[in-house]
Amino acid sequence: MSDTVIVGMSGGVDSSVTAKILKDLGYNVECVFMKNWEGDDKNCNSEEDYKDALSVCDHLDLPLRSVNFSNEYWDNVFKHFIDEYARGRTPNPDVLCNREVKFKAFLDYAFDLGAVKIATGHYAQINESEDEFHLLKGLDKNKDQSYFLYLLGQNELSKSLFPIGDIDKVKVRKIAENSGLINYAKKDSTGVCFIGEQQFFKEFLKKYIPVKPGLIQTIDGKICGEHDGLMYYTMGQRKGLGIGGGHGFKEAPWFVADKDLDNNILIVAQGHDHPSLFHHGLEADQIHWINEAPTNSLENISAKIRYRQDDQSCRITELSKNNCKVIFNEPQFAITPGQSVVFYIDNKCMGGAIIDKRF
Amino acid sequence: MLYFDHSATTPIHPIVLDKMNSISQNHFGNPSSIHASGRKSKSIIENARRIIAESIQASPNEIIFTGSGTEANNSVLWSLIYEKNKHVITSSIEHPAILKVLDSIEPFGITYTKLPVNKFGEVNPKALEEVIKDDTGLISIMMVNNEVGTINPINELINIAEKKNIPFHSDAVQALGKTPLSVKDIRADYLSFSSHKFYGPKGVGFLYKKKKSKLNPIIIGGGQESQFRAGTENISGIVGLSEAVRLSAQNLDKRILHLKKLESEFKSKLSHYSSNIVFNGHPKKHVPGVVSTSFPGKRSDILLAELDREGIEVSSGSACGSGSIKPSFVLEEMGISESQNTSTIRVSFGRGNTLEDVNVLVNALLKYTNV
Repeated sequence: MSDTVIVGMSGGVDSSVTAKILKDLGYNVECVFMKNWEGDDKNCNSEEDYKDALSVCDHLDLPLRSVNFSNEYWDNVFKHFIDEYARGRTPNPDVLCNREVKFKAFLDYAFDLGAVKIATGHYAQINESEDEFHLLKGLDKNKDQSYFLYLLGQNELSKSLFPIGDIDKVKVRKIAENSGLINYAKKDSTGVCFIGEQQFFKEFLKKYIPVKPGLIQTIDGKICGEHDGLMYYTMGQRKGLGIGGGHGFKEAPWFVADKDLDNNILIVAQGHDHPSLFHHGLEADQIHWINEAPTNSLENISAKIRYRQDDQSCRITELSKNNCKVIFNEPQFAITPGQSVVFYIDNKCMGGAIIDKRF
Repeated sequence: MLYFDHSATTPIHPIVLDKMNSISQNHFGNPSSIHASGRKSKSIIENARRIIAESIQASPNEIIFTGSGTEANNSVLWSLIYEKNKHVITSSIEHPAILKVLDSIEPFGITYTKLPVNKFGEVNPKALEEVIKDDTGLISIMMVNNEVGTINPINELINIAEKKNIPFHSDAVQALGKTPLSVKDIRADYLSFSSHKFYGPKGVGFLYKKKKSKLNPIIIGGGQESQFRAGTENISGIVGLSEAVRLSAQNLDKRILHLKKLESEFKSKLSHYSSNIVFNGHPKKHVPGVVSTSFPGKRSDILLAELDREGIEVSSGSACGSGSIKPSFVLEEMGISESQNTSTIRVSFGRGNTLEDVNVLVNALLKYTNV
């Protein structure tokens, strides 16, 4: 019998086409639907997604099993997510979900089920050379998801396949349509998976973290409004500040420039180009390298401080086992503590770290 | 494909299917219409009602057709929101079609007490006596548990209810077709049944309601089912149900014998090969052919997938609970450890299974469990 590959099937078009491609390649393909969130949050589409996954698998004549990782998600992703927000930071749960759930709990489960590899519908590529596995960006530059995968290591990469990593999204949808998959036109998921769209965000966080309203001040110390709690805001945020005219000299919009956590004050600046919104450098910790950790400063390195950002040229000026300092060639807008800085050399994802401070 | 999940559902009996097809093809009239087509449909339904009533020794006007066993349960529980006495006593291992309903009707003033079960999954009648309150308006305790097959001491429970003059309901969905069932013997006020558990079609069930027992309808409309359950009748479904009931009654001894034979072959073969295998539920007081068995050290979700690949279908916990590796609450309530719980599968045999099938199943289990 041919090798068994188990596909993490979300019910979306990417994982569906992943399964289809592997089947066509002659693998013995099975699919697993992960339920990572319990509760009847009306914004969580898990049941609808399961139905889509089931029709796709039925159409491709592949078995679909479900597994519940909500405990793993809660303990290893969600608690951290809440802790970070409570500290006024902006975490990225998808990065952690990949390490703790998709490439740990699911991977172990799939191997228990007899898989020789797992596969997911990520836009990224794995390249094996000289007995090492390398994580490369997805071919579709617009969709590249290597940013979310920088916490993977050799073990995970050696056991994973990303069959759509060298295809662009338009073609993925085309394959889905030509194969008669019902979800070929399904909307890409956006926002945090267990919350849904941005508009539910406040309501959601309120359930888990006590609300602590406070004042909004301009960068010059002038009080210009009230905020509902620092956790609701992120660096560089423009919408939802509720600051009208009358505080500034011109009608330019206001942006979140900083959070004074000790005094519970939200600090804002006017105009997208305001210098207080830009920083040259950052300090990051919880550093992780996909291949062996570099011993000297890396040449030609660049970094992303958020998903879908263009690579930014930079230097790593200080580097220890767990921490690093990064200086950018160009000042960066809204460097956000809690988010990940992910390092690249050309097409290759080297690793990354969690942003702690900026300067 | 080898199917050993008859407690989840059963295939339609070919005779049942023939009857249903013939009804669907020939009789479409609305039973409420007064013309010939309508009268014919009405008479077909009433005939089905008589067959069912006869098989459980009830009167035809004590049979109310519903869309499912779940609906039958719901109608008994929801009925209580209109009554003065709103306290319900139930057991801790009922189907969600009881427990979740009770949670849902709490806002209407319903309160409830869950009786614990012993390690076999039985309710202790003495415990029932102790929790009865002045405002207890209903006792609802399942006849047979769906996960382990244990039969409750239903008549002892009913005796207590009768003494205190409290209406008694039993979810008997897992009982019909596997144990003799007569309302002369079991003097419950209400019993819920589901057709697809005994080779009838899905989407139809019935409630037995003792003539004098009260029921406030929850589905209101055209007054069908003597005002107790509105909605134009599912004629072919009802006929399929009645035929399935008739066949169950007619072949009961044969079916029980067959199931007992399969069960004992399965258990003795497994026990022969390993002393580590545990059988859950009551060793004697259980319906034939339902076996809850634990394979220490083997996760049931993995085992289920491995069997599924070989075309062998069993379940872990109740059907509604599968798809997650959460431990079964039924086994939890029976005091079974979490590690044993998550290594438990349910095998439920049916009339289509043979001794050869059992051997295939046993061999597959031995192959994958290393016990």
